[in-house]
Amino acid sequence: MLYTTEHIIIEIISAIACFILVRFMIKPYQLTGKTQYLGLPIGFGFLGVSYTVSTIVYSFFNFPELGWVQLFVRGFAFLVLAITYFFSKAEKNARLLWKIILALLAIIFVVMTLLVTVVSPQVSLEDYRLSYFVIRTFSLFSLGYIIIHTLRNNRTDAKTVASSLGFVLLAIEQYSQLIWVVDASYFALFGGLTFRLGSLAVFLYITYKALYGKRDDQNN
Amino acid sequence: MKKFPRRNKMIIYGDLLIVLQNSAGPERIVLSQVQTKINVPYDRLKVYIQDLVELGLVEDEVSCKVSEKGLRYIEEYKRVLDFVTRMGLSY
Repeated sequence: MLYTTEHIIIEIISAIACFILVRFMIKPYQLTGKTQYLGLPIGFGFLGVSYTVSTIVYSFFNFPELGWVQLFVRGFAFLVLAITYFFSKAEKNARLLWKIILALLAIIFVVMTLLVTVVSPQVSLEDYRLSYFVIRTFSLFSLGYIIIHTLRNNRTDAKTVASSLGFVLLAIEQYSQLIWVVDASYFALFGGLTFRLGSLAVFLYITYKALYGKRDDQNN
Repeated sequence: MKKFPRRNKMIIYGDLLIVLQNSAGPERIVLSQVQTKINVPYDRLKVYIQDLVELGLVEDEVSCKVSEKGLRYIEEYKRVLDFVTRMGLSY
């Protein structure tokens, strides 16, 4: 495979960026104790894990089953993020439901891990390609939901526009990955990876600006 | 009638500290005005202020002056709310 080193470097940078984001995104939960705020760090944590697994997959080609792990974990990460945004808009008392969903997600994750490690090594490459296509499409829908949610919030607060942009870039990355599976174009692969880096940079900027930057009410 | 979303204690503490800080002045803070602003019953408000004094976020129950630690909490609280807003989540 061409450009493996470049690909591995981008995966490592992405994983590090995600774990830095997790470190700071946990703050709202630590301060308020609201479990709804756990969704963001969990989602980005799984994204970081999937990029770490990708690094291993592209570094050592002898672990084909890990390809399944990174595929499922990444899809799972986007699912967690979409559910977090879904419960964020619920003004009624949805705390119990959120906790049930969180428990269900944990069960789904355990089942997925078992499936991936026990069943997937016996599945053919063609089935892997099909699963890749299905999971990436599903991730695109999850990201689409998040983008619509943040854009709706943008009507009442212009500050959310950066997060919309971050998720749009992540969605373009998922779309590029789909194209890469279909026509194996390196332009799609590295274009997608560039969009991903751009997206993570946007989220790092939001985190820095909100938690460490100068606030608007401090100007005078 | 407008239904207020349920808030947990840490959020109420944050809102209460901001109101106390904004109400600070030469005159004594009127708790009934504070009660209206943060929308909690008067007896519950007294309990929350006691909690804040025990946590060292408010100096005493009479003056209701926000302490240094309380000011730091407000700063952190505002930053976290800003982050949550920027990420497109509601609180």
